[in-house]
Amino acid sequence: MKAMILAAGKGTRVRPITYTTPKPMIPLIRKPVMESIIEYLKSYNFDQIVVNTSHLAPAIENYFRDGERFGVKMAYSFEGKFVNGQLEGKALGSAGGMKKIQDFSGFFDDTFIVMCGDALVDIDLNEVLAFHKERKAIATIVLKKVELDEVSKYGVVQTDKTGKILKFQEKPKKEDAVSTTINTGIYLFAPKIFDFIPSGKEYDIGSELFPALVKANASLYGIEVPFQWVDIGSVTDFWTATRMILKHEIKNYPISGIEIKKDVHVGINLGINFDKVDIIPPVYIGSSTFIGDGAKIIGPTVIGSNCYIESGAVIKECIVEDYTRVSNVANLDSKIIFGNKCIFPSGEAIDISESDIGWVVDDARKEIELSETQKLLYDFIKETEKIS
Amino acid sequence: MQVEEKKIGKLVILTFLERRIDAILVSDFKAKLSEVIENGNNLIALDFSEVEFIDSSGLGAIVSCYKIIGKSGLIVICNLKDVVFNMFQLTRMDRVFKVYTSNEEAINELS
Repeated sequence: MKAMILAAGKGTRVRPITYTTPKPMIPLIRKPVMESIIEYLKSYNFDQIVVNTSHLAPAIENYFRDGERFGVKMAYSFEGKFVNGQLEGKALGSAGGMKKIQDFSGFFDDTFIVMCGDALVDIDLNEVLAFHKERKAIATIVLKKVELDEVSKYGVVQTDKTGKILKFQEKPKKEDAVSTTINTGIYLFAPKIFDFIPSGKEYDIGSELFPALVKANASLYGIEVPFQWVDIGSVTDFWTATRMILKHEIKNYPISGIEIKKDVHVGINLGINFDKVDIIPPVYIGSSTFIGDGAKIIGPTVIGSNCYIESGAVIKECIVEDYTRVSNVANLDSKIIFGNKCIFPSGEAIDISESDIGWVVDDARKEIELSETQKLLYDFIKETEKIS
Repeated sequence: MQVEEKKIGKLVILTFLERRIDAILVSDFKAKLSEVIENGNNLIALDFSEVEFIDSSGLGAIVSCYKIIGKSGLIVICNLKDVVFNMFQLTRMDRVFKVYTSNEEAINELS
């Protein structure tokens, strides 16, 4: 069966991470979110997958290539152009992206699925397919109940007893919401859907296509069955999802590496004396990482590959990306170190260069050269905190 | 550099009316603190309620003044915004300097 993954968004709510990494490629303990989606689609025999790409497209295309490695066939529909030697993304919106593929080749010739590239799900797609076919729907949306406080982030729907959607509101105010049942960004469509999408222009599924279908009294249905849905829509979500995986709260998510003791997963080629580093699980440590004797690593924490953690460092509940040096004097508490930024779970961030804190945390491949001020601070903290 | 100075009992409160304490302002910052210390004050609260950004040179200036004042006095910090507080935490400066969430808290304890 055929599928489309929506991967053209800029991921504005996951900035600053998405300045350098497109949202579908955000690693959840080394594995991009979209890789889990592809495995999931494959398990339901959706084995021909077209991905629309735009923002940082090469990062996605160069990783998945033709999909062979993942046991599926993959293709890309790039939205943008090459200007002055650089790729410039110009996303067409979710529905516009679908239409572009259909106009190009007529790819979607039977019931097909469309999913966002940024959420982990475990819903039984066979059940959704049966529901969709039984009702001869033109579109079926997978729905989920959320807390009232969250409705303004999503598309909210109201259905009748059969599941037919009577009202669709895109990101309504809390007080205007007709229900707390929301659109999860997983859709089944009949090819007839393309009659409702204009060619060659930006068009969105949530804010344009669905309201148009409701207005036309088309067979738009919603199915609500309990399932786990872990959306990576914000920095906070990325932070929470990583912690959930480490705590085994996401079903069937394997943690890579070797489990050297309960809930301590590690890579290979490590420079770590595990008798001398204070590790409180759950912790993942990537390959080729050095951790000095005496360092404290408190979970849930992920330390990437090729990191250099000095012996006085304290790292508590953090996500530290590959090639990070954490100095003796650093105290990382609830931080994400990513792309030369020290990010808080709220999404606020300290830029490592701008703040000149390379003496605390920096790229491990950089030569350590402390300025006079940096040396003054380093020595001062080392002395007053009695770090050897 | 814009600074408001207030004395309550023995405590001098310096409120920095600047958004950034960085390399550009550091010499002014040090000069102001040195002036306050030279005037015989040794209990100083730095009110950062308006400060949204501090870099290593800003932190370095605080440490320099801490060294000048020595064991005979005390420098404390008040009203850190999230990003600035995180700079203190990351570098363990929050463990070296007493950090208060409001000026009142510092006044009650120190003046």
